[in-house]
Amino acid sequence: MSTQAKWVGQALERAEDRTLLTTGGHFIDDLTLPGVAHAAYVRSPHARAKIRHIDASRALDHPGVYAVVTGEAVAQFTRPQRGRVPLPNSPRVYAVAYEQVRYVGEPVVGIAAVDRATAEDAAELVQVEYEPLPPVLDPEEALKPDAPLVFEEIGSNVLWHDTFPYGDVEAAFANADLVVNERVTIHRYSSTPLETFGVMARYEPATHSFTIWGHTQQPAQDLHVLAAAFGVSPGQIRLIIPPMGGSFGNKVRPLFIIAAALLARKAGRPVKWIEDRRESLLALGHAADGIMDMSAAVKADGRVLAIKFRNIENEGAGIDFAGRHNLLMLSNIANCYRLGAISYEGYSVVTNRCPVVANRGIGKPFMCFAVERMIDAVARTLNLDRAEIRYRNFIQPEAFPYDTPSGQTYDSGNYPEMLRKALALVDYDSLRREQAKGREEGRLLGIGIATAVEPGGSNLAYGMLISGPSQLLSGQGEAARVRLETDGTATVFTGGLDSGQGHATALAQIVADELGLNVKQVRVPTTFDSASHPYVMTSGVYSNKFHGHDTVAAIGAARKVREKLLQRAAAQLEANVADLELNDGRIFIRGAPQKGITIAQVASRAYWSLADEQPDGEPGLEALYYYSNPLANRPDDKKRVRVQLGFASAAHVAVVEVDPETFEIKILRYVVIHDCGRQINPGIVEGQVHGATAHGIAAALFEEFTYDENGQLLTTSFMDYLKPTAADLPDIEGDRLETPSPLTLLGTKGVGEGGAVVAPAAIASAVEDALLPLGIHIAALPITPSRLFEAVSSGMKLYEKRK
Amino acid sequence: MTEMISITLRVNGSERTAAVEPRRSLVDFLRHDLGLVGTHVGCEHGVCGACTVMLDGRTVRSCLLFAAQADGSEVTTIEGIGTDEALHPLQVAFQQHHALQCGFCTPGMILAALELLRDNADPSDEEIRVGLSGNLCMCTGYVNIVRAVRAAARDGNVR
Repeated sequence: MSTQAKWVGQALERAEDRTLLTTGGHFIDDLTLPGVAHAAYVRSPHARAKIRHIDASRALDHPGVYAVVTGEAVAQFTRPQRGRVPLPNSPRVYAVAYEQVRYVGEPVVGIAAVDRATAEDAAELVQVEYEPLPPVLDPEEALKPDAPLVFEEIGSNVLWHDTFPYGDVEAAFANADLVVNERVTIHRYSSTPLETFGVMARYEPATHSFTIWGHTQQPAQDLHVLAAAFGVSPGQIRLIIPPMGGSFGNKVRPLFIIAAALLARKAGRPVKWIEDRRESLLALGHAADGIMDMSAAVKADGRVLAIKFRNIENEGAGIDFAGRHNLLMLSNIANCYRLGAISYEGYSVVTNRCPVVANRGIGKPFMCFAVERMIDAVARTLNLDRAEIRYRNFIQPEAFPYDTPSGQTYDSGNYPEMLRKALALVDYDSLRREQAKGREEGRLLGIGIATAVEPGGSNLAYGMLISGPSQLLSGQGEAARVRLETDGTATVFTGGLDSGQGHATALAQIVADELGLNVKQVRVPTTFDSASHPYVMTSGVYSNKFHGHDTVAAIGAARKVREKLLQRAAAQLEANVADLELNDGRIFIRGAPQKGITIAQVASRAYWSLADEQPDGEPGLEALYYYSNPLANRPDDKKRVRVQLGFASAAHVAVVEVDPETFEIKILRYVVIHDCGRQINPGIVEGQVHGATAHGIAAALFEEFTYDENGQLLTTSFMDYLKPTAADLPDIEGDRLETPSPLTLLGTKGVGEGGAVVAPAAIASAVEDALLPLGIHIAALPITPSRLFEAVSSGMKLYEKRK
Repeated sequence: MTEMISITLRVNGSERTAAVEPRRSLVDFLRHDLGLVGTHVGCEHGVCGACTVMLDGRTVRSCLLFAAQADGSEVTTIEGIGTDEALHPLQVAFQQHHALQCGFCTPGMILAALELLRDNADPSDEEIRVGLSGNLCMCTGYVNIVRAVRAAARDGNVR
């Protein structure tokens, strides 16, 4: 009996919305416990310094203060952090600075008090004696032999360095008609969830166990990070994750949870910490800045035969995401193009900046920016149209599934059609005419084009490229449990989390189809609880994994339940399972719909009537399913590994006008054609495309974490770190292309990161095109009017990284 | 200890009396003293708009006001806008148009949109964008929020 797609594919309203609209939802700061204390942190004012002495006695004596925790205590009670990808030569990193500080804003002393204001008052009473040291902020500076060391114990600022030759790169260069060289950089930015990081921790001394309400995007991995830090069993930690007010890859800081848990243990009462915005901008985490040198072997007709890449990634003063931006760039570096050979050299370098996290699309925005800038540069060199150069290099639709040099298997796509649709929507040819006419009148109009793959789901075995084959963590999957309740409704539990993507709605649509229920009869709790929700080590909300992992796990569990349900119904109806149909909450004999029974009747008996014969061998109607993606492999001897497990794609076209006097950049049109295969809920998909695109546009035009030469972050409020408002962003037009993935159960591909991956490249392409009469080449972001003005007025032909 | 200030105000139609610390912000008072946690805290420096509430019929940023300043006033929060049984037309429009994702900005955004439509029953898209430009949304790119407000305006039921 096959399932019918009655609910999947509909742009249904979201089940999550009513609570959010009427009561504002239930976020971490809306939860409390009797006797809860509130935490505040003394934070480092220096980018690099030795901690000579800490005197917290006045803070401890302050009325209402319950506990004070310094690095000494943290080093005594917890073990140092291991990175998500364990490094062969790992520095020691603790939840609170121990002996040294390594970035401005690093927690130095934690305080728990009766309320937050009291904790902050007490923080001001702590005396810390520092010995400031010269910081290293630029990753290229950090590579120099005499550079100050961020972590002295590893003897270098290089956490990781490797080279990846894929295919015969030298032959491609020997065969090239010309070589095009480019150097581009990406800056530091973040998608800044509107809800900041939060945690509430409770410690039970008798059982040495912790209950933690808080933020993470990888619950199983972080639960194990906490267990390892405290030297307890994972079973001694209960992790509860309420719906998050956005996460975007940023809410992955288990060190913050460790600090709160330690304060709770010391205070003898629960402790809550809600990060404030300044703390969030200073220390939650940034997308890595990076420097990319590229060299392309090109034929005279514009075909790109091979590209050599060399990337220096600035990890900041953290190890948790070491190498990840590099490896995720590397794995997607072919982008939409038929490159015969690729070489990639990656450096992961530490500096005295905020540690990096996995901001929306981790690494891929820079991948796309770099590759698309190179493709535009090739077009410019050969005087080819920017669309034409792409058509000449795209992987063709008949080539799928397509294996890239680095070992990715692109499942499906139609890149030429995607771009054609986008160009048709903006009416490209007439825009080019308008642009030519405008130039005669002194108008600076630009049309930017960028295309990219948008991977979904990471095979975490890619960490073996850094940590070696002994790494335990590998693959990608998810866990799900489906329970039919006695009233015939269903409840779905997974290891996924809610941070606004509408996964509860999408899962309800999928499970309703599997179980013949109305979508409103399927509920998906949006608070994860490790005591009730199943999980595998790759569980969580990250890496666009939902489409092909959470979905399949839920389907697997639902199908097990359906089988049990049908066996029970067959027994009760005295029929064969093969003759039964399941629809609208009823099971009936095919062709005789009056001969049936409701799901509620079957489910009731399954739970209440234990003395009955159990046709499926056990009472109850509940099933658990663990899914592991079979595409996930281990690195081979040529360092090829399927890092990503599904490939959506998108074409963006941006039309901008630059004011020739003020250099204000106005977006006139913004078009996205997006292909994520089959869509479970097109309403949700469209929203994801809008939101991600907005992040990418903001990264290209507004947002930048700026440090001064001492390592002071200058952008510590939303008055300095500029988030776009409704008045700053364009309407995002678009349409979809649908090439279902042959490699996922539902034909789905990832959605959610793509807009953020492509938009920075599209904006750069558009601004450069607008400035063609001035001959300025865009090699850095963000593009701001003042910096453009500086570049033009000083006669520079290159818009490059701020010195 | 700090001297407390006694305040009396109407919140969502009910009279509330409380003694507050002078430094207690209005948003902390609403959230922690009255348990009205639908008003959210996003930046505490008056930029993001997550804490937007109505004070005597006009939107304010409740993170930038002290509770004591609201003495004698009428405050409306998201909890006073509509209920699950009787959604406000803006809440209906937001749900229909997928105008929220994580929902953290939504209470403030609804109140800002309400003020906008009370001032201008038939705004253009540009007027909607400018009218909502005091409220940050990190999820939607604003596209569906603009659509929802436009739809609510077109239906003409917003009071």
